[in-house]
Amino acid sequence: MFDLSGKHALVTGATGPLQRALAVGLAEAGADVSLTTATTEMAEEVQANSILNECWSIGRRGEALTLDLADEAAVDEAVAGLEERIGVISILVNASHAAVVKPFVEMAEDELGLFDRNVRRVLIPTRVVGKRMLERGQGRVVNVASILGDRGVPNCAVYSATQGAIVGFTKSLGIEWIRRGVTVNAIGIGFYEDVPGPQQDPALREILEKYIPVRRLGQATDLQGALVYLVSDEAGFVDSEVLVVDGAISVHA
Amino acid sequence: MAILDQFDLGGKTAIITGAGSNLGREMALAMAEAGADIVGAGRRPEPLEETGEMVRAKGQRYLTRSTDVTDSSDVQALMDTAITEFGRVDILVNNAGGGSAGRGKTLPELTDEDWYSGIDANLSSAFFCARAIVPHFIEQGGGRIINITSGWGYRGGRNQFMYPIAKAGMISLTKCLAMSYARDGVRVSCIAPGAFPHELGLETEARGGMQPAGRFGEMKDLGPLPVFLAAEATENLSGETILLVGGAIAAGVTPAGLAPTVAG
Repeated sequence: MFDLSGKHALVTGATGPLQRALAVGLAEAGADVSLTTATTEMAEEVQANSILNECWSIGRRGEALTLDLADEAAVDEAVAGLEERIGVISILVNASHAAVVKPFVEMAEDELGLFDRNVRRVLIPTRVVGKRMLERGQGRVVNVASILGDRGVPNCAVYSATQGAIVGFTKSLGIEWIRRGVTVNAIGIGFYEDVPGPQQDPALREILEKYIPVRRLGQATDLQGALVYLVSDEAGFVDSEVLVVDGAISVHA
Repeated sequence: MAILDQFDLGGKTAIITGAGSNLGREMALAMAEAGADIVGAGRRPEPLEETGEMVRAKGQRYLTRSTDVTDSSDVQALMDTAITEFGRVDILVNNAGGGSAGRGKTLPELTDEDWYSGIDANLSSAFFCARAIVPHFIEQGGGRIINITSGWGYRGGRNQFMYPIAKAGMISLTKCLAMSYARDGVRVSCIAPGAFPHELGLETEARGGMQPAGRFGEMKDLGPLPVFLAAEATENLSGETILLVGGAIAAGVTPAGLAPTVAG
């Protein structure tokens, strides 16, 4: 069950610990894994290559590309090349994701561009890869979305709006495509270790560890099971769903 | 532990109520295939034993106990028997229930008996089972409960009362159990299957076209989900209801089948 051998997955925004866990989880389950980073910043490319190395060390194939996900022509060309060299992409994990925590009125004009980072850079790869999946009649798209797509938190208004956008996108697109063999789902994340957010404040962290019902912050590896399940052949009837992996914090009264 | 090993249920015991029904049997077989021993509970012994033969054919142990899950003392006896026979119980699947009680009657026509029997079969049964097993879970440091709701748990229907109300209650029961016992290692989740024709005896081709997926759920869609939810891989997932409806709830499609469809 849930074996991904022979599949090729593309994980976008592969520069952080969550993306590492997602990519390595897919590799452990048998998939070849390719990655993209958004910028030519050395630190990001080093991260992506280190993640790729970990996937290779499990015995998988794949490439890491630096790619502007907002540029449809560039994404199209990159995806065509990856499919030719590694194999057709049947799994797309949209994990390009950034948070800005700031009072709304204090946000600079260019910080409103978070929509570009968190939404447009999901829409474009989904359209490019999705088109190919639809032609082949088989595919899995999984978007990484925060539980703030559903809940409110101060100083996160724009970030929340981008996550709400991803949730709506997931639900509608899933229904648009399921008859043609492509499912679209999201993984909802709560407060995780090693990623930016209010949990990095030690005082707040202490409170969160008591408040989260499971009594710990999420570990990046907690996401692996949900991802592997959602992209597996066995989950073909799970669609338009946001599968929340947050230690039950969003269940709190 | 490598990720695929985290889906292994080897050495675990699962109690499944309503294990003689189509959905219950499918879940029992999938969990057995993943390595779990199965305790099948329900009212009628024959279908439970048929499930048992299929579980044993997969090389797993199976215990059947005819149980009225709306009777809390019978439920307690079920749990005691399972623990005595298998030494431990790790997973409870609250699957028993049915939609027939009082269906289609108008509100004034519904009797007290209709109300109580519908709520008891579909909600009290899960509450009794959870109450009876949770102390065991706490003692052994954790466990999993998987409740079965329905697309009806999200939506209303004309002259449908006890079943949708009880199924909405299952979603809430899931959250309350998750909140109450998270620190004891108990993880609780819920599966909402949409229309599965095996259960409904529907004309599948005509009405499946009204579903976003162009078809109803098939048995093969169901089994892997409880395996996933019972597995180590979902240690940080609790309180959630997973829809197994092929997009039908996101689409605003009711199980009544009146849905906007997508070409292609």
